[in-house]
Amino acid sequence: MLDRRIQPEVNTLEDISFVHPQHFDIKNGIQLHWINTVADDAVKIDLVFDAGSRAEQPALASFANSLLMAGTPKYSADELHARLDGLGGFFHAETSREGATVTLYGLRKNIYALFTLLIEAISEANFPQKEVDQLINQKQQSFKVSSEKVSFIARRLFTQNVFANSPYGTVTQYEDYAKITQEAIQAFHKKHYLQGLQKVCVVGDLDPITIDEMISLVKPMVGELATNFLTEVENTKGEFRQEKEGAVQTAIRIGRILFNRTAEDYLKFSVMNTIFGGYFGSRLMSNIREDKGYTYGIGSGLAEMRKLGYFFISTEVGKDVADKALEEIKHEIERLQTELVSEEELSLVRNYTIGQMLKASDGPFAMMDRYLGVADFGLDYDYYTQKIELVKSITPEEIREMAKKYLKWEDMTVVLAG
Amino acid sequence: MIEYHKFELENKLRVIFHRDVTTPMAVVNTIYDVGARDENANKTGFAHLFEHLMFGGSANIPDFDGPLQRAGGESNAFTSNDVTNYYDVIPAQNIETALWLESDRMLNLAFTDKSLEVQRNVVIEEFKQRYLNQPYGDVWLKFRPLAYKVHPYQWATIGKKVEHIEEATMEDVKAFFQKHYNPSNAVLCIAGNYENAQVEDMVQKWYGDIPQGEKYLRNLPVEPAQTAFREETIERPVPADAFYYGFRMPGKQDERYYVADLLSDLLGRGKSSRLYKKLKKELNLVSEISAYILGAHDEGMLMISGKLNKGESFERLDEEIWRVIDEVKTHSMPVEELTKIKNKVETTKVFTEQGILSKAMNLSLHELLGDANGVNLEQGHYDAITSSAIQNYALERMVKTNCSLLKIKAKEDAR
Repeated sequence: MLDRRIQPEVNTLEDISFVHPQHFDIKNGIQLHWINTVADDAVKIDLVFDAGSRAEQPALASFANSLLMAGTPKYSADELHARLDGLGGFFHAETSREGATVTLYGLRKNIYALFTLLIEAISEANFPQKEVDQLINQKQQSFKVSSEKVSFIARRLFTQNVFANSPYGTVTQYEDYAKITQEAIQAFHKKHYLQGLQKVCVVGDLDPITIDEMISLVKPMVGELATNFLTEVENTKGEFRQEKEGAVQTAIRIGRILFNRTAEDYLKFSVMNTIFGGYFGSRLMSNIREDKGYTYGIGSGLAEMRKLGYFFISTEVGKDVADKALEEIKHEIERLQTELVSEEELSLVRNYTIGQMLKASDGPFAMMDRYLGVADFGLDYDYYTQKIELVKSITPEEIREMAKKYLKWEDMTVVLAG
Repeated sequence: MIEYHKFELENKLRVIFHRDVTTPMAVVNTIYDVGARDENANKTGFAHLFEHLMFGGSANIPDFDGPLQRAGGESNAFTSNDVTNYYDVIPAQNIETALWLESDRMLNLAFTDKSLEVQRNVVIEEFKQRYLNQPYGDVWLKFRPLAYKVHPYQWATIGKKVEHIEEATMEDVKAFFQKHYNPSNAVLCIAGNYENAQVEDMVQKWYGDIPQGEKYLRNLPVEPAQTAFREETIERPVPADAFYYGFRMPGKQDERYYVADLLSDLLGRGKSSRLYKKLKKELNLVSEISAYILGAHDEGMLMISGKLNKGESFERLDEEIWRVIDEVKTHSMPVEELTKIKNKVETTKVFTEQGILSKAMNLSLHELLGDANGVNLEQGHYDAITSSAIQNYALERMVKTNCSLLKIKAKEDAR
């Protein structure tokens, strides 16, 4: 007879198998990475450029990025997009402070034609004035829409104070868009795209000859490896509130400057964070959503950049319970700093974390992300082995220690908008 | 081509198994044949609220998420107007934990007043976050009643209003479970590296003794044919005027569903689409515009929506949108343009079939609609579409009397 009260036996997970990409030198230590173990016709290609927004005029990097397919001397934006679409391709471009990524999705049969088209568009982009004007208008309008959202207001205020007095703390203002000129974009493009390629990642079942041809195509864009990343900054501690008339919810962002995965305490910290706010069963979710019903969702995490990182807690709560929610967040921090995590909770988090690592390594597209997740920090796949070992062996005392050391309320930037 | 093995238990639970030897993970996907369209018009938002309660513990297990996480897995769910879908992604060797949890909550829930009260609050916060506390958030709450006069698609899954969620009682919750949550109203799909016999044994073990329950027979009011153009204008403190044109389209079981989908791509998917090129790039009338379908099991909507540039009028926009639509009606579309749209559909299909979760969801959904193999026939439906099919569709359906228009006018005093 089946006893439904008892959980079936849980098996501890075997090792995760990692696929190593093949590496091809392009120039100056800049490489193409290729994973070919794709079972069907899907191909994804990422081009990474040193074209981030740091240390530049606000909004400039995002303008150059958004207009990469906006025309060449030979083809208009409409024609470029018609060709891309005709080949069944999808194109996506995005920027962060530290870089820009251009992603191409397509099927095997058309991928070389798509790649050629993309490289042609990027290397001959001429940023027509009409396209620049339309984009200014569009960005201004979406800025106005976003400004009505408490999450947007809080995020900006948070960024300004976490990266206080550093180029990473600059947020784009409405007025900045109108200051963007065609000349500035062209100059940015010349420096950061035409001589700014940092790496190429290809996932797809392609012919090695195609890979060679791709390398020849991108070679002229290779620059020097970027190094000027922010290495040190201090967040402004204390509370910042911004009123938003008519809001029915308050957005809360709490956090501080911290490290990335190259730091010694990183792995221990991240286990502590999982318990605190890193998964659906976390302390924050259990208390503030599942017990109090103050919010639809709350979480915490560690956002990583090349040389540092920042810790954050993020939620939107009913306006009338914002201060109560803040008290509960504080309470959960204090619990982690004073009480020891039970073996039951810890063993759950151990298994959960390893299960999620397995899921995050499932399939060739995920595997490329795992590779970049170490390569970008100068690490290798040993990092994941160490992570599994640490997750299995970390003690309740070490977790308490992490909370005491890094989650001091007086070290936090606290932002409320609503 | 997605291969699968299909079987049915004595209690009428339909089971689909998709074997994937390349992954160390497994998926357990359960779809229940109940969505917001099955709600009482005076108690809307219920199917979705209920989905939240399904995580509040079941007959023999006090907590759903904990044991799943302990086995390295994770779970979530969504509710649409048509269905409610629950999924677990878990390392393959621990799949029995997912089957244990899912079968127990199909057997019976452990309803507590506390769980109901908390989830009511959580859903109300979700209502605020998604629909009230942001510009244009309430668009669908306004558009649906304009487009549907009798069919329950007239309300969104979140519900008509917060009050309906506040008023949900324990009796309602229990009755809803009795009516909809049983093997005869569900499809279970398992994906992972197993053998057929192994899956049959596991499913029999965990689901075999669940009472069949009553098959829910859907009998929804049929939306009468639309005979006149509908239009509504609302004022909101938003930064820009916005427009939402909806054209009634056939349900998912109809061949012309796919024609409508391609037509929406032709009109407004991406930067080489007709509306984007004409209204945004050439005329600079709008800051954004797109066309897409709200595909549904019953009659859905082909939508054209976007935002006006400052100083432009709704009248001019309307004229230009209809001009683009009329062009489709009067001129057969060039072959290259049709090929282009089909190529994008093909790429999209290949990428959505990466990974077992989306495969399992699609198989379940198609089985619920009548046949899991439908997932393998979709591309064929698209391939078969000709230029004249699209033209004929436009002539018949893209007409003013089949159209509902919601305009959002920016209040002058906005900030």
